[in-house]
Amino acid sequence: MEKGRLTQRDGFKTLVASLISIVIGLLAGAVVILIVGLINPSISLAGAIEGIKIVLFGVFSTGRNASGALSFGFNPVNMGNLFFRATPLILTGLSVAIANKTGLFNIGAPGQYLAGTCASLFLALSIPSSKMAPGLIWLIALLGGMIAGALWGSIPGMLKALLNMNEVIACIMTNWIAANLVTWIFDMSDLKNTAEGTKTGYIYKTSYNGVQTPKFGLDKIFRGSQINGGIIVAAILCVVMYIVIEKTTFGYELKACGANRHAAKYAGIHDKRDIILSMAIAGAMAGAAGSLYYLSGNTEFFWSTYQSLPSEGFTGIAVALLAVNNPVGTIFAGMFMSMLNISGMQLTYLTAYNEYITDVIIAVIVYLSAFSLIIRMLISGRKKIERSKVTGEPIVPAAAAAAPAPTADAAPAAQPAAGSPAKDKED
Amino acid sequence: MPSEYIIEMLHITKVFPGIIANDDITLQLRRGEIHALLGENGAGKSTLMSVLFGLYQPEGGEIRKNGEKVRIDDPNDATALGIGMVHQHFKLVDVFTVFDNIILGAETVGKMGFIKKKEARKKIEELSERYGLRVDLDAKVEDITVGMQQRVEILKMLYRDNEILIFDEPTAVLTPQEIDELMAMMKEFAAEGKSILFISHKLNEIMAVSDRVSVLRKGKYIGTVNTKDTNPQELSNMMVGRPVQLQVSKTPAKPGDVVLKVEDMSVASHIHKRNAVDHVSFEVRQGEIVCIAGIDGNGQTELIYGLSGLDKCTGKITLLGHDITKASIKARGEYMSHIPEDRHKHGLVLDFTLEQNMVLQSFQDPRFQQGGFIKPEAVRSYSEGLIEKFDVRSGQGPITRARSMSGGNQQKAIIARELDRDKPLIVAVQPTRGLDVGAIEFIHSQLVKERDEGKAILLVSLELEEVMSLSDRILVMYEGEIVGEFLQGQVTAEELGLYMAGAKRQGKEAK
Repeated sequence: MEKGRLTQRDGFKTLVASLISIVIGLLAGAVVILIVGLINPSISLAGAIEGIKIVLFGVFSTGRNASGALSFGFNPVNMGNLFFRATPLILTGLSVAIANKTGLFNIGAPGQYLAGTCASLFLALSIPSSKMAPGLIWLIALLGGMIAGALWGSIPGMLKALLNMNEVIACIMTNWIAANLVTWIFDMSDLKNTAEGTKTGYIYKTSYNGVQTPKFGLDKIFRGSQINGGIIVAAILCVVMYIVIEKTTFGYELKACGANRHAAKYAGIHDKRDIILSMAIAGAMAGAAGSLYYLSGNTEFFWSTYQSLPSEGFTGIAVALLAVNNPVGTIFAGMFMSMLNISGMQLTYLTAYNEYITDVIIAVIVYLSAFSLIIRMLISGRKKIERSKVTGEPIVPAAAAAAPAPTADAAPAAQPAAGSPAKDKED
Repeated sequence: MPSEYIIEMLHITKVFPGIIANDDITLQLRRGEIHALLGENGAGKSTLMSVLFGLYQPEGGEIRKNGEKVRIDDPNDATALGIGMVHQHFKLVDVFTVFDNIILGAETVGKMGFIKKKEARKKIEELSERYGLRVDLDAKVEDITVGMQQRVEILKMLYRDNEILIFDEPTAVLTPQEIDELMAMMKEFAAEGKSILFISHKLNEIMAVSDRVSVLRKGKYIGTVNTKDTNPQELSNMMVGRPVQLQVSKTPAKPGDVVLKVEDMSVASHIHKRNAVDHVSFEVRQGEIVCIAGIDGNGQTELIYGLSGLDKCTGKITLLGHDITKASIKARGEYMSHIPEDRHKHGLVLDFTLEQNMVLQSFQDPRFQQGGFIKPEAVRSYSEGLIEKFDVRSGQGPITRARSMSGGNQQKAIIARELDRDKPLIVAVQPTRGLDVGAIEFIHSQLVKERDEGKAILLVSLELEEVMSLSDRILVMYEGEIVGEFLQGQVTAEELGLYMAGAKRQGKEAK
């Protein structure tokens, strides 16, 4: 690959755009910290600068040293927790990304996440570990959670495919149905944690039944953190989904169906079946997110969820946006979101910023980070202007005008940025 | 000193990635003339007009109005200069009424911020009366015919008192009667001093209505001629760059065995309660082109939907001895190529690349996949072959997004895909709609070639000329029924017109 050509490739532009938007998001977050710090009489300028440091490098924060200054370095707890918390975010992001790739907007990830959580907890706690190997129970619980998520996701899929009902509305409805259904199911169940008297409204940890995600030695590297093998499972699922969507005929079918249902039908593709399958796969990923989070063995499910939907589901939308719907990209986007989460906690622990303003700062960063599409447009736009400056000279031999471009990856994006009138070029 | 020209586009150059759409093009429009802009698909006509209308910024050249240089940065500037455009694909808000669409963007607002609807309505009604532009002001745009939508677009220009009117392939969507009306209207506008730019590649229309013709070819300016000094053959040669055969040359058909047999087929309509296709029976044999003629909306679309499996039908369809009445689309595809009527809806996945579209029907074929994994090299080389064989032009070859290709090349891509599937029956619905003479010549010759190789071809066409020149047998559809059947040469275009309009019909029902 010649130098310079790389920068013309779509994937590269996308990556750069995502990185730039992350940087912009972080800078904006820093500005918010500064402003809040200056307004708030209890935070000095030095405190605000500390806040900025923590937001940018919170994962590497090791607390305060003897002289009271912030110290930084490798922090195995933060690092491990980053991976642990990233796992559900990566998977809900993957869920939304897959749906988007196939022309659907899966805002139902929270409901599917709950469905997965519910099925997994039931399986993990109800199959007695005296009769079956805990590892096997874990596997069954994970698969059960994915199946439950898939079934829950396929409901809006079916409504869309068979009755042409908008999946967004159906997803929002099924989210709340899931929240209340799960609450009711656990309310009826005997899985409520009664062993620890201080707790009300919690379900047993799966470790109560000896079931937990294998750690694969990761806990040795990241001592004292909650890390487990879930991050590996999530990464594998992302790679598998990337291959399925981009490399197989099945993925081609799903994408064709999502991009133009009528053309897919015309070509003999079962459009209805494929829409349901897309949503089911997306649902399975969100289900896996819930499963892996609660199968860790050290997390407890607060069963009275009817008051709110799990935020992991909605964060998945931001993750998918940041990853520009690339299944592999969701691994990194999910980790970034998780990093913000960790930084936010550090900010609350170590500085005078309270948890609410921390949430605002995270929201600002997430919001701006999701602008990668616009950044991408700007990158392409800049290229266009550069090109037009050159065109004072004769640029391309006229004969080449109508001929196909010589090599595939040498040519820049054919389609001018989304939303430009060139979409309607038709001559 | 007032210039002779109302609009001049001098040395316009517009570049898209991988393609120079306009290469040093000069176009001068006189006051009160109808100036036709002629060129093949992808010659740069629409791009040039988009530059004039402010949708694109040219990399080189300048635009003058009345001899003075002007800048047109967006359509608002164009409107301010009195330039109006009827786009090939109408720019209307579907869920708004006709009235709302006409005033949209040019509302006269009273003191309190309310729109002065009464005055606007009066003005529109006057205009509509004066030019015979029949529209239903209170109907929603999604409910009216394309012909009426076009009248709405014309009224939009008139309402804004535009003096320069651009018509981008206005006749592509119209019935012959509507085309005649439009032509008369354009002449009337010109007589009142409005200047008209008329983009087309239909030579007979250009000969009938225009004063002068400018020809573009592959983004370059070829020349401008006075219409009265030229003829269709000369124009088409200028446009294509080589002598073009305007008539289809073919030998008499030698029909063989029956390939497709349709008996008593009915398809329910989605619009009204009656059957869109009403108890129709016909046959298509090997080695013949059977053409279904008729005015748009007489059941041709539904007939093909029923035949291809896109819609349910009753009756019996036999294809090569198999009863396919209830078969899936995929099963039917084993014996049938289908060039669909709506290339954007059915023919292409616009957001896919050209190569992905080329294998839309055949991606399951072992040539292109192994164990469920697509073979990218096989897809690439196959599409490159088709692109070359059918001369499909695009910015980046196989990896061009279908959406960014010109309409004619999109159609060529579909035709390449469908003909290459090599099925015994070819169903082609308006395969040349919106195409230029060069492409039409090519597609016609391909269809004749397929026929001579023993394929059975069912052609649906709204163009009388195409029906007359290409078909071996003609079936006329009127209100969902077949009202006439003729062998080639048995019937004149005029007589066919009477059948199409429902003024005549054969016996009870054709077999």
